[in-house]
Amino acid sequence: MTAPHPRAPRDSGVRERLARLVDRLPRPMRRWVLRIGVRMPMVAWLTVMWLILWGDVTLGATVAGAIVATGCYAAAKLPRMPIGVRLRPLGIVRVVVVLAYDLLVSSVHMAWHVLHRPGRARGAVVAVPLQTESDLLMAMTAGGLTMVPGSMVVGLNRDEGVLYVHGFPLHDERSVEKLRRDVRRTEELFVRAFGTAADIAGLNGGTPERVPAPGGRGADGGEG
Amino acid sequence: MSAGDIITAVFLPLGAAFSLIGCVGLLRFPDLYGRLHAATKPDTVGLIFILIGAAPQLRSPGAMVAMLLVAMFQLMTMPVVAATLGRVAYGRGEVDASNMIVDELAEDLREVAARDEESDDGAEAGRR
Repeated sequence: MTAPHPRAPRDSGVRERLARLVDRLPRPMRRWVLRIGVRMPMVAWLTVMWLILWGDVTLGATVAGAIVATGCYAAAKLPRMPIGVRLRPLGIVRVVVVLAYDLLVSSVHMAWHVLHRPGRARGAVVAVPLQTESDLLMAMTAGGLTMVPGSMVVGLNRDEGVLYVHGFPLHDERSVEKLRRDVRRTEELFVRAFGTAADIAGLNGGTPERVPAPGGRGADGGEG
Repeated sequence: MSAGDIITAVFLPLGAAFSLIGCVGLLRFPDLYGRLHAATKPDTVGLIFILIGAAPQLRSPGAMVAMLLVAMFQLMTMPVVAATLGRVAYGRGEVDASNMIVDELAEDLREVAARDEESDDGAEAGRR
């Protein structure tokens, strides 16, 4: 199966086909289909959780769950799932595996420091400019970093896309550089798992060093 | 002893050990951030290990899925708590700077403050 015309890789597909299908509907119906369609995944997820908590899967429980989920959705005015995210199964598997491994290794590392001279463990806060401009990817990266022992996000500058990450335990400049690399690697993992094609392209051509964002202030404090 | 029993025998004590270490770290680390790291992260690993250890002893799959939810929500909420506490601690100046190798947040905040002062001066001069 060859694509008849070249277009942005991967991001087309199902989403576009669905959009074309919706376009064919009469106008008033289209609005409703869109309204319900974008909220469907969240309602489905809430229903699944309801069934898990309920304990057994029956038709009645499913219908009740869907009604409760829809009601909660409407009552809480939850936002629809943000667009601008793609789910890339391979990337998701990779980010889960790597974070689980990190969680384990750095917990052992932390345990060692707890038992062996905890007074000498030092920390550091580093500023790491992110390559992604997506709020959601930034939030995911921050969450992932905070989840893993040894790094914690203590602040972020959304306008310039800078994360301030506290690392612990560290010893010297070398471990500080390692922390910086880890932050960038975590970001890359999340972008490759959830980013759009544009996000991933930005990653490859991105800036690995601390360079001032265009029009922004240099995080290094270059301008006197 | 079945395979499930072995999993329980390995993971339950391991999980308990991680939780214990988290608590010991809470007591022994010198500054607030160290304690925050120790209190939140190894505990998560401990909880997940305890859940893994308990799962084979439960015969009902429903309970296992519920435990999966417990682990998931722990993983989702813990970073929020840690980041919030960290942020508040920093804002209140509860952070021991002598324990830091570098603090680029402080550097950047100082820079912003300096710039704001400058622009304030400029605005005042303009008004005069």
